Amino acid sequence: MLRLDARYFAGSPFVHLKTEVIIIGGGSTGTGIARDLALREIPSILLEKGDFTSGASGRNHGLLHSGARYVVSDREAARECITENRILKAIAPHCIEATGGFFVSLPEDSLYWRDQFIRSCMDVGIEAEPLQRDDVLQRDPAINPDLVAAVRVPDGAVDPFLLVIENARDAERNGAKCLTHVEVTELLAAGGRIRGVMARDTITGEPHDIEAPFVVNATGAWADHILKLAGLHLGLILSKGSMLITNRRLCRHVINRCRPPGDGDIIVPNETVSILGTTSVTIDDIGRIEVTPPEVSRLIEAASHLIPAVKTTRFIRAYAGVRPLFQFADAADGRAVSREFVLVDHGARDGLSGLITITGGKLITYRLMAEKVCDLLCGKMGVRVDCKTAVTPLPGAERPFDLSGRLKEFGDVPLQGRGETLCDCELIGRGEIEGILRQGRLRNLQDILHRTRLAKGTCQGAFCVYRLLGVLQEQGLTGGGEPHEILKGFLEERWKGVRPILGGLSLREEELIESIYRGLFNL
Amino acid sequence: MNREESKIVNPDVCIRCATCMGICPVARVTASFPGPKQAGPGAERFRKPGDPSVDEWIHLCIGCRLCDTVCSSCVNVSEMNLLAKAKYRDEHGMPLRDWMFAHNSFVEKLAGRVPRLSNAVLRNPLVRRLLDRLLKIDLRRPLPVYEATTFRQWFRTHTGRGGKPIGYFYGCYANTHERDVAIAAVQVLEAAGYEVVIPRQECCGLPALGQGDVGEARRMAERNVPWLLAAVRSGLEIVFTSTSCGHMLKYEYSRFLEIPDADEVARHLHELFDYLRDLQGKGQFDVRFRSRPLRAAYFAPCHLRSLQIGFPSLDILRRIPELQIEMVDADCCGMGGLYGFKKEKAPIADAIGADLTKAVERLNVEMVLTECEGCRMQIQRLTGLRTLHPIQIVRDALEPGAGN
Amino acid sequence: MRYDLIVIGMGLSGLMSAKTAVDAGAKVLVVGKGTGGLCLFTSGIDVMGALPAGAAMGEALPRWIERHPDHPYAKMGWEGVREALEAFAELFPPPYGFAPEGEGNCLLPTGAGTTRPTYLVPATMRSACRLEKERTLLVGFQGFRDFYAEYAAAGLKCRGENLAIPEIAGRNNSATSLARLLEDLPFREQVAAEIVRRLRGETHVGFPALLGFRNPMEILKDLEDRTGTAIFEIPILPPSVPGMRIFRRFRQHLIARGATFLLGSPVSRILRNGPSCTAVEILHPPVTQVYEADRFVLATGRFMGGGLCADEETMREPLLGLPLSASLPREHWFERSFLEGREHAIHGVGVVTDGDLRPLDGAGRPYAANLWIAGTLLAHQRWIDEKSREGIEIATGYRAARKALAS
Repeated sequence: MLRLDARYFAGSPFVHLKTEVIIIGGGSTGTGIARDLALREIPSILLEKGDFTSGASGRNHGLLHSGARYVVSDREAARECITENRILKAIAPHCIEATGGFFVSLPEDSLYWRDQFIRSCMDVGIEAEPLQRDDVLQRDPAINPDLVAAVRVPDGAVDPFLLVIENARDAERNGAKCLTHVEVTELLAAGGRIRGVMARDTITGEPHDIEAPFVVNATGAWADHILKLAGLHLGLILSKGSMLITNRRLCRHVINRCRPPGDGDIIVPNETVSILGTTSVTIDDIGRIEVTPPEVSRLIEAASHLIPAVKTTRFIRAYAGVRPLFQFADAADGRAVSREFVLVDHGARDGLSGLITITGGKLITYRLMAEKVCDLLCGKMGVRVDCKTAVTPLPGAERPFDLSGRLKEFGDVPLQGRGETLCDCELIGRGEIEGILRQGRLRNLQDILHRTRLAKGTCQGAFCVYRLLGVLQEQGLTGGGEPHEILKGFLEERWKGVRPILGGLSLREEELIESIYRGLFNL
Repeated sequence: MNREESKIVNPDVCIRCATCMGICPVARVTASFPGPKQAGPGAERFRKPGDPSVDEWIHLCIGCRLCDTVCSSCVNVSEMNLLAKAKYRDEHGMPLRDWMFAHNSFVEKLAGRVPRLSNAVLRNPLVRRLLDRLLKIDLRRPLPVYEATTFRQWFRTHTGRGGKPIGYFYGCYANTHERDVAIAAVQVLEAAGYEVVIPRQECCGLPALGQGDVGEARRMAERNVPWLLAAVRSGLEIVFTSTSCGHMLKYEYSRFLEIPDADEVARHLHELFDYLRDLQGKGQFDVRFRSRPLRAAYFAPCHLRSLQIGFPSLDILRRIPELQIEMVDADCCGMGGLYGFKKEKAPIADAIGADLTKAVERLNVEMVLTECEGCRMQIQRLTGLRTLHPIQIVRDALEPGAGN
Repeated sequence: MRYDLIVIGMGLSGLMSAKTAVDAGAKVLVVGKGTGGLCLFTSGIDVMGALPAGAAMGEALPRWIERHPDHPYAKMGWEGVREALEAFAELFPPPYGFAPEGEGNCLLPTGAGTTRPTYLVPATMRSACRLEKERTLLVGFQGFRDFYAEYAAAGLKCRGENLAIPEIAGRNNSATSLARLLEDLPFREQVAAEIVRRLRGETHVGFPALLGFRNPMEILKDLEDRTGTAIFEIPILPPSVPGMRIFRRFRQHLIARGATFLLGSPVSRILRNGPSCTAVEILHPPVTQVYEADRFVLATGRFMGGGLCADEETMREPLLGLPLSASLPREHWFERSFLEGREHAIHGVGVVTDGDLRPLDGAGRPYAANLWIAGTLLAHQRWIDEKSREGIEIATGYRAARKALAS
């Protein structure tokens, strides 16, 4: 284990803290709540058992929905999406690439559904521009030339890692406290009221005892795990969605199939890659999620209808996230259940006041979800402060999203502050990593990797993580023990994402990487 | 791998193994060029269609194609780089110097008409300083000297000895600057029993392609191909002595420029020594050599390596009694055709050349043989040794009256 | 022109076959699409790293071979392997030679701070064989991203420092650019001075394997004289400068002996006439060149070299469709753990041959009368876990050519 920031937790072995609101969960919703409360000047402490974005927030398409995908089945959800879409473009442009999206009709797709789709978009206020086949192909030549027509909508791509981390950073800047790698072990309650939580540092084992009159359970798919500590239960359905990452951007726009949503019908260009997915498989055990080779084949098959090059392209990784779906009525298929979020006041529902659960929803609506939670909390606290997150830009918002800038900068010699290029695939230099290290709060290698594009490219960290460890070693941050144990741990973690896609072209790279680590370095 | 697959410029097949980083002569001497893996398939991941070109460093690629030859994954790095150069040029325009280089054949034609005047002007130190200052043509590099009469003029007054006809593509450089190379080729072919025919031809267009001026290169190719096709269809096989021109005609016309009928021409184009080696294999290169007690180094130019025919001149040179040939242990001379003339690239060219110079010096030879005119210029300047095309030595070694 | 032997593949096995044949006076064509793993991973010559530590190769390997009767080594026995290794070592006269240190494997440090058992140690790594941790300093270059001295040193439990050389500061320095600079005396003087400044009584200095392309021993000796320490090279991330040295030496030898050396083109087809192979077709679009020969050695390696390929479900040998030793369903190709436990099953699959390295058809008869297989394409070897890559390449490359020429 890295000992990246020993100073951070130096101090008393038993951390006793007091605050107004405890937020459990460091995903988009949790950090969104922390920021919202902070901007309303309400103190809070966020507890995350891993790092920010270790759950579904870091394991999705990175799709900035326009709402069009849900417009036919759920106008209310669509309306929320488009509103949030516009807000996020305004407050977090540096996390977003406004690519635009195409809903593509293939010959077998119902044109009746398409008409309904366009009408619904108009009703809800989603800009929907019908495009002729040739026009579509001219704007995005990768799309299946068999298409009949398409509709352009304001979909986009979002970097969820950056978004969540910037939310957390701004929350802390405004007075919140965020503790990562701290797992809640007990919900403390007395007399039908929540009093706080007991928690434990997952790395040092250090116990935390935190008092607060309000606890927000924003743990997404883990919501029932937390509620279980209080003997409560929501009965969430857990739905696994698997995604594949391609070596390069296949298309310029977000591509959806213009028909009722199904498996493998979204392709999102994101940074240097495209992400395609997803599946929807109901699972029982959240601890064991993996992508299976048949799922990979199914995704490739489905996505190849939208972009034929999917069949021949190179994949670099597969991963899966878990959506928490709230079951309003009995439904067997995960996708049919509402994607709208649920806000549960356990005081009203279960007689445990002060405890609130927020779950469900989508990345795009995280801010709205946070706003609703905070409004509810303010009501309970009897304070009247308006939400400011819709109008207050996230820090760093002036930095634009830019691929070619990285390419240009890369050619400049001398390197100045950028330092040597550690990651060839994503053009990440030592300077960027040192900047991340200076931000602190890094407990393990994955924490670093959540904050950079390093290791997200073609070789998936096979060259650059070795180099990253070299840099960490120089800075005395690798802790005791065998330094190559960290490297081994990373390679095993990498393997989980790579193994499902091994076949065809990728076997060649596998042989290269294995020749280096099992062969040359004899790990 | 089938034909179609091999033609696709597909950065996805790159496995980031770094074999190309080991061979790239430019990355070896300067950190300003990120090396083939990064400049080619690596950078492709950052280039979005419609985005303007930002990678000015792409012009540091010398175009040697060594990366392509060592890549086990069949990544066509040099083609990717050519495309990127062309795109950059399209968007940013071309410096006057590069425009002149791209239209080199035109300049040559004009200057070649008045060789004495051209030489006087180009040797004038003031002119050179102006060229250096205004056009950024490196002052220290001697410009090639124009011959008093061109190869074409020589050939017009030359009568062959009859025999089986064979076509010859001599290339601009030999025509105006080094006609003895072309004359030697004619003499050797005649000694082997051939009647040399010169099909209509002009500059192959490589200088233009090297500057990223694909349009100009295409215009030249579109003129040459029908002429050469007519020659080929009349039953001629065509040989060439310049490996750079030859590579352009045989491969770039078809693969990169996709000129109609270039494939058919390519099948009948042969590097001269490759052709002679074939004849020799069939027992048909029936010439006698006299002894040449000489120790010479042989350097295999990049474009010869790209032709994928091995080093056929060695198979012929080894027949010459008492001629000792040593292979120069270097991968590139650094000249890169017109690359070395460019002031901003001259230090790179010289650094690459310095390695070759050391390799030549270790061999302790009297002269250096190499098929490429650019290499000859560079080696001559850096080592001070006599540099010849191997065909000149072969011609010199022919027993008088040998052959049929 | 007709060749006595065409070797397909320019990795170590193909080069070894070609060398063996030209040395026997044969007219050889060697063709390769790329240079294989040689220029990426090779530094020392691993023969059988999996033998117990300290075991004498000449005793332990024959016993190991007895227990692995299908292994390529079993087709020639230890004597055959040794003969091949000697033929390889002939190419590298002192001072830069390859030789065993003692009777068995020697544990050489790597750039990851681990050690790997190697049999033939290059002269530049000899001082690393008996590493005294407290007397060893590893040095890298600040800003060189393929070797971090402190990281490697932490694994090896010695001290590591990165040298600050102003001439190369603030840039991305490639392995080859540093190897080239180290051939220059003025640069070496700066390096030596930096090393001396950082020594804290250490007597041994480990250096990333960048000590020049030619005459590395000259560079090493020079650095030793200037620093008063024993210097050794440590293999690092690809590309491998020591591997390039081996490649260049083979290339020089083969060309000097008149071999036709075609680097860069893939063989698209092997032409057959009845029971014999007759020619190879080399694809260089738009031209296809045909070269004829009496004998053929196939040394195309595995997936990286193109000797094997696969789609999403099945593996095959692409040139001739030679039968493979096993047909595994895709879910069995790789284990759940990358590093721990069994080696991934896919690596055991390869081309099955008879005792003379001739590939067998489905019925167990030689596939062709004049075709031999060399290198990691062969079945029943697990070079990664055995640590036997170069040994197999050299031994089978040599053997295939000898068998071919004897036919």
